[in-house]
Amino acid sequence: MRLRIDGRLRTGDAIAVTDVSAAAVAAAIRGDHERVHVAAPEPGPLFEHVGVITESTALRVRTAVARAARTRGLTTELDAERAAVRRRLDELECGESDPKAARRRVAEAGADEQRLRERVAELRGKLQAVRDAGGDESTVEATLSEAVRELSEVETERIAAEQALEAAETGARDERARREERLELEDRAANLAREARARLVDRVREEFAAAVAAVPGADPPADPYEASPVTAALAVARIGEPAAPLVVDTDRFDDAAAAAAWLDAPVVYIR
Amino acid sequence: MLLVVTYSRAARRTLRNVCRAHEDSVVTRFGRAALFEPTAFAALQALRLREKHGVDVEVRLTRTFNEFDDVEGDVRKAAAAYESREQPSTPYAKFASGTDHPDPESLRAREL
Repeated sequence: MRLRIDGRLRTGDAIAVTDVSAAAVAAAIRGDHERVHVAAPEPGPLFEHVGVITESTALRVRTAVARAARTRGLTTELDAERAAVRRRLDELECGESDPKAARRRVAEAGADEQRLRERVAELRGKLQAVRDAGGDESTVEATLSEAVRELSEVETERIAAEQALEAAETGARDERARREERLELEDRAANLAREARARLVDRVREEFAAAVAAVPGADPPADPYEASPVTAALAVARIGEPAAPLVVDTDRFDDAAAAAAWLDAPVVYIR
Repeated sequence: MLLVVTYSRAARRTLRNVCRAHEDSVVTRFGRAALFEPTAFAALQALRLREKHGVDVEVRLTRTFNEFDDVEGDVRKAAAAYESREQPSTPYAKFASGTDHPDPESLRAREL
């Protein structure tokens, strides 16, 4: 690897640095830091788990162990099915059509219709009252016929709105069937991933336990999965084959060379 | 009651959390669906879910099905007779043919 800090170049597989944080070096390895630049292989999926090992490392141990097993080329019998499920998921197209606008249109048309119906009834009563009183009917009559005309328009709109909603609901139902299939496939993919992870963890169980026991300065518990996160992270990095350099910020090793040798990987050692 | 059905893992997760947080409003929970009390508070929760997950959340207003009100008597009679049939393997269409019981096609054409 080639590491450059403020323009000063260092090369090798075990480089110790000072006055630079582990986070800064990690950002540089991921390809984005102003002061620090690292030329090395791209970080693989293992990097997000154990790429940076500090005393405050948090780790989902089983997931990381399974990832480490993958970097060594281990596979499971479930991988083909999982890939097929993922392909099907990629192909599945779920539209985003929402009948919300159609629902709103029906509700508004219904409310308009109700309002106009009441208005027509009220005007009919008024007209009758004017007639009974022998008054001038013409104004009320004109208002009533205008209201009746509006009511018939709104009725037409309400019927059209209901038909549109029905059509939208039919479309939404087809779409939900696809969404349902997608959900089933996602669940299936998640189950396969969980099962594959368990199998991978099982395949490297002994090796991981041995690595945990060999971590310098560790007091390994009976169950290697109960080890402290930093111990577990070091063990995972040791059994895996990290693509990119590891950023190590713990006092478990005397120097960069010791860390790189134990981990059998390129290391940037924060002093 | 309000029936809320979810169609994605994220929406299902949120529904689970909502049910857990507002048990009083939940009538029944199914895997990725739940039936809520018919209150405005339950409607608020349903709409919140829809705001968050869009078309991955379906909301329906349901009510009790009253077989004495919502369907004609022949359907009730047919159901009772079919359930007490002698041959468990007889499909309904065969069971109904040649009797007074309505055939499946005419039942499908009848709306509730």
